[in-house]
Amino acid sequence: MQLTDVRREYQTGDVPTVALAGVSLKVQRGEFVAIVGPSGSGKSTLMNLIGCLDRPSAGTVTISDKDISTLDDNELTALRSRAIGFVFQQFQLLPLTSAVENVAAPLLYQGIRPREAHKRAAAMLTRLGLGERLDFDRGRLSGGQQQRVAISRALVTNPDLVLADEPTGALDTSSGAAVMEVFKEMNAEGRTIVLITHDLEVAATAKRRVYIRDGLIERDEADAMVSTP
Amino acid sequence: MNLWLTFRLSLSRIAAAKVRSALTMLGVIIGVSAVVALTAVGQGAEQGIDSSLASLGANQITVSATSPTGLDENDAAAIAEIEGVLKTSTEVRTQGTIAYGSESINASIIGVSPTYEDLGNPDVAIGSFLPTSPGLQNSRTIVISARGADRLEFTTASIGDEVRVNGLAFTVVGVLDDADGFGSGVNVYITQEAARSLFSKSPYLSVIRIQAESQEAVPPVEYRVESFLRFSKNVQDDDDATFSIFNQAALQDTIRTVTGTLGILITGIAGISLVVGGIGIMNIMLVSVRERTREIGVRRAIGAKQSQILTQFLMEAVVLSTLGGLIGLTIGQLASYGFSILGGWEFFIDPTTVFVALGFSALVGIVFGVWPARTAAKLQPVDALRFE
Repeated sequence: MQLTDVRREYQTGDVPTVALAGVSLKVQRGEFVAIVGPSGSGKSTLMNLIGCLDRPSAGTVTISDKDISTLDDNELTALRSRAIGFVFQQFQLLPLTSAVENVAAPLLYQGIRPREAHKRAAAMLTRLGLGERLDFDRGRLSGGQQQRVAISRALVTNPDLVLADEPTGALDTSSGAAVMEVFKEMNAEGRTIVLITHDLEVAATAKRRVYIRDGLIERDEADAMVSTP
Repeated sequence: MNLWLTFRLSLSRIAAAKVRSALTMLGVIIGVSAVVALTAVGQGAEQGIDSSLASLGANQITVSATSPTGLDENDAAAIAEIEGVLKTSTEVRTQGTIAYGSESINASIIGVSPTYEDLGNPDVAIGSFLPTSPGLQNSRTIVISARGADRLEFTTASIGDEVRVNGLAFTVVGVLDDADGFGSGVNVYITQEAARSLFSKSPYLSVIRIQAESQEAVPPVEYRVESFLRFSKNVQDDDDATFSIFNQAALQDTIRTVTGTLGILITGIAGISLVVGGIGIMNIMLVSVRERTREIGVRRAIGAKQSQILTQFLMEAVVLSTLGGLIGLTIGQLASYGFSILGGWEFFIDPTTVFVALGFSALVGIVFGVWPARTAAKLQPVDALRFE
């Protein structure tokens, strides 16, 4: 995964806002990277670009050797569906659906048969210690449990890359620590993890930290990569 | 995400917001139920009119006098000879009092020719109609309509009793099942000979009924009869006419035109109410898309294609409208069952109505659901996720 001189600007009313002012970043398969920065630093924009939810205003984003600006909406969706798992700060479990239905949803969108999807979702939840709570909806799960459901949902398609946006932000310290353990295990299995956080303690779990401020990379612990001015 | 799962998801969403769903469906429910009920009433009424007209015979022409001296025996004799005329019957009408026991009522006394039974098709409930053999035409026999019998407190067992018509004794031979037409008057029937000799001594007639040889012969016969009467009565313009002519077929046509117009009216009401219902659904779906923007964003992030989001919202609109249609159909059928009891016609569930009602409500869901669903599908994932 590689970003080359990426810019992203938004038009808010008449005022153009520069969220990313030229960022270059390369993440290798199997890395565990934390992108650290205060709010407004452009880290969420960066995550949206890496997650194929958005396109850059300038520069190129390459995921699995594909330049995402050349892909149409369906191809981007297919790439997300196959290669990327998302974990959000507010869990974002789907309403009116049980834990297992939530986890099965990405598989169903891929066109996998409901029975098979359900089986794989249940297996994933069981692996994350929620085997007893498959049919609970989000109202009957604690924050930590909801986040584990969300992680199961991110992992069930067996993606190369997991993107986590402040995954511990809405959790107490011990649930947060448990979630970070899960990420560490996932990384140990060889999965690439990109974690976005403002919390240095959380970022300490990652193997590499990239500091971002005002739309620019301030410091990248990988010496090979240098931020562009 | 297959259609069955999408369908179940829509149902659970509708069930999760029952009041809102019910209010949304209200337009479609009211529209469909009103149309189903009105259609059934229309069909029932048409059936009733058809069968009562059929009993009168479609190849009949009726000539009525519009003045006391408008028609007479000579006219009837001449009309009977006109080409295409199969049979005629004549009636003289006078007013009188009928007394039985302690009861006394006013009635139209109709003196009918022996052929009347063939043309007028009286519906005899008890006993028989008047004698038809020539030798019995001067007998003092009488047939009373159902309403008359009721007012005179005349019971089944009383057939053969005597009633007094303007003070003269007549033997009751039958009671009719007929309603007495419009109004609240009572008709009684006696032979024309008795009527002439006792009550109405003039040669004038009230009604001449004509049976044409066939239904096709009705218009030419009507034309010939009218020409003859105009000539013999020297009618210069329509205001001078002492008679009026009408035929069952023309009446039937008129009624068909009326029911046809009614049908167009019902279709119009259906169209308007379904459009109103559809706008209600569209409105709530647009609100729903807005409320669920983040959910849409999450679904897009975890791999939902635009088409899958479109299908989900479209399905929801179609399920809403079709469910509304189903409820409306049920209410409409219940109402038409009620009307069929009141109106006295046969209740039946018309498969066409069921099909059309459900088909159109589904169509409303599709037509009015497309825009909200497209709005949902076109949301940029990143904007949807950021939406607060």
